[in-house]
Amino acid sequence: MIAIEHLTKRYGADIVVDDVSLDVESGTIAVVVGTSGAGKSTLLRMVNRLIEPTAGRVLIDGQDTVTIPEDELRHRIGYVIQGNGLFPHRTVAENIATVPRLLGWEKKRIASRVDDLLNLFQLDPATFASKYPHQLSGGEQQRVGVARALAAEPKLLLMDEPFGALDPLIRTKAQADLLAIQRRFKTTILLVTHDMEEAFHLGDRIAVMDQARLLQYAAPTEILMRPAHEFVERLVGTAERPFRLLSLTSVSRALEPGNASGPPIDISANLRDALSELVWSGREALPVSDISGATIGKVSVAGILALRREQP
Amino acid sequence: MSRAGLSLDRLGGVIAILIAAAIILGPFSIYRANRIASGDARGIMFALPSAFAIGLMVLSMAIALVSAFVRALAARLAAAAFGMIAVFVAMGRSADFLTPAGNSFARVSPAWGFWLLSFAFALLVADALTRLRFGPWERLAALAVAAITLALLLGSGAWNNVSILKEYATRADSFWREARQHIVLALGSLSASVLVGIPLGILCHRIPAIKSAVLQTLNVIQTIPSIALFGMLMAPLAYLAATFPLAATLGIHGIGAAPAFVALFLYSLLPVVANTVVGLDQVSPKVIDAARGMGLSSRQRLQQVEFPLAFPTILTGIRIVLVQNIGLATVAALIGGGGFGTFVFQGAGQTALDLVLLGAIPTVLLAFAGAVILDALVDLAKGARA
Repeated sequence: MIAIEHLTKRYGADIVVDDVSLDVESGTIAVVVGTSGAGKSTLLRMVNRLIEPTAGRVLIDGQDTVTIPEDELRHRIGYVIQGNGLFPHRTVAENIATVPRLLGWEKKRIASRVDDLLNLFQLDPATFASKYPHQLSGGEQQRVGVARALAAEPKLLLMDEPFGALDPLIRTKAQADLLAIQRRFKTTILLVTHDMEEAFHLGDRIAVMDQARLLQYAAPTEILMRPAHEFVERLVGTAERPFRLLSLTSVSRALEPGNASGPPIDISANLRDALSELVWSGREALPVSDISGATIGKVSVAGILALRREQP
Repeated sequence: MSRAGLSLDRLGGVIAILIAAAIILGPFSIYRANRIASGDARGIMFALPSAFAIGLMVLSMAIALVSAFVRALAARLAAAAFGMIAVFVAMGRSADFLTPAGNSFARVSPAWGFWLLSFAFALLVADALTRLRFGPWERLAALAVAAITLALLLGSGAWNNVSILKEYATRADSFWREARQHIVLALGSLSASVLVGIPLGILCHRIPAIKSAVLQTLNVIQTIPSIALFGMLMAPLAYLAATFPLAATLGIHGIGAAPAFVALFLYSLLPVVANTVVGLDQVSPKVIDAARGMGLSSRQRLQQVEFPLAFPTILTGIRIVLVQNIGLATVAALIGGGGFGTFVFQGAGQTALDLVLLGAIPTVLLAFAGAVILDALVDLAKGARA
């Protein structure tokens, strides 16, 4: 668990981060959102001490980070930045091997770890290992950047606008990959973004920052339903809000007995996808299928609307 | 994709005109009764045996046509290289032909027709090489081939009657001694400036406060004329030699090689330091941030990231210094520092142009070779990341 306690950063009279406290449970993703200049990046960079806090402290699994030598601390924390920061003079394999090499891993262990990671990110080692970063597409570079951060199997991953430089289609894919990998390794992730869509898509909890202060830190649904601050209300209270809420709700919540005609929707889909399909196909209801493909009920427009009315 | 039929190559056309002008208008060689007498210029027809002269003219015109109309790069390169060898051999033949038998005072030297013809062929070679887009290794190989060909031609004795080699023949020992001295001065001062300049550049990059002061100082040193700098160094070095016997035994004196070495070293510092600073400044902040974030210590960042990324730029600075030093080392002869300048200044004093050329031509060839080699190294250092 990461515990950020009363973290503050001042440059002279300027307060960049003002008394921020938040906990990130192990194996979850916390997303910090806010406008540019809100202090998000500074907050993130104080966790691995790229910036030394003026006051407050960070505990990782109960251990105060100031008690760990800087470089050693950073070897244990993955770090991904926008535009990836790959070393242009090193191959993909050498880039990924950076931290394991610093840690003095054996050559064999490094090589097999690099191969594993390349495979994990759907980059064929035979093709990609010996390429240089400039020979890769933006999406491939980004994947190598994340693979490099994960190389030494860190428990914690810090990501600063990791998908900011990608075009929308590749970004969606990168986000899905990240979620899959996070679920697999149970990595704790602290991610900074200014993209609300991304925050709601990735975050188990969302921290909203404005003008150096943390305004609200809560689960996505909570942020949508009960914004704690006028600024948060403005940020989430757009026409998008109902759809975001639906996207956070599983089809199973609106499952009704019965059947409907047409192609079914999977039980694990969310209600936004279901509504989207209802509107697009012009149907009143969709059959819902489970993993085996058997129809187990239906989801209807009326059912989805009724569900909203139930919620406070 | 060469187009069918004849089409005029623009640069090739200009080269063809140069070739024509050289063989029709230009005197090929100059005959003089002795090494400082005024000369008598001879056109190709009078400088060579007739069959040889006609052969050279026909060959040159053929190469001019190739230059103007043939697109195939390999053919252009081959024609130009063949032309260079032919004109070189012809010059030697002309010297044999014009020198009266048994006369050791007469001098035959190349005239502007020869130089223009050589220049035109060299231009054609350079153009073909550029268009072939040779990689670094191929360029080094081409240089080696050129050097070996030149050595073989000179070694075969084909030019032994040409005035420049006659000057060489009377001072073969001192020629190689001065050659060695020239290289020691140029490369030695270069090595010293690399050893001092790179750390100084790193320091300037790390401590911005000293950057402008250091660069300004080195800038001012660059603007001091070399002779003035020699003069300024004489007093302190003479004092050093007088005060510390060890310095004198090491060869440090107010005049001679020591002040020349120090002056060349001082001139070399600016390009090395400035390029080190620029190279390090160019490294992307994102790359540095990523390196810090992954826990590379300040020293590891410098060794593994910043320096390797700055290295091609630093090497470019070293290339500038190498060419500059090979040229500047000529001036060392003024204060008894030796080098090829010795022949240049002796020749100037005796109004013996051949002797001047004996010093100047090797200097130019050396600088040219140095530039080609360092350019290839810069490309190799950039490597696959381009």
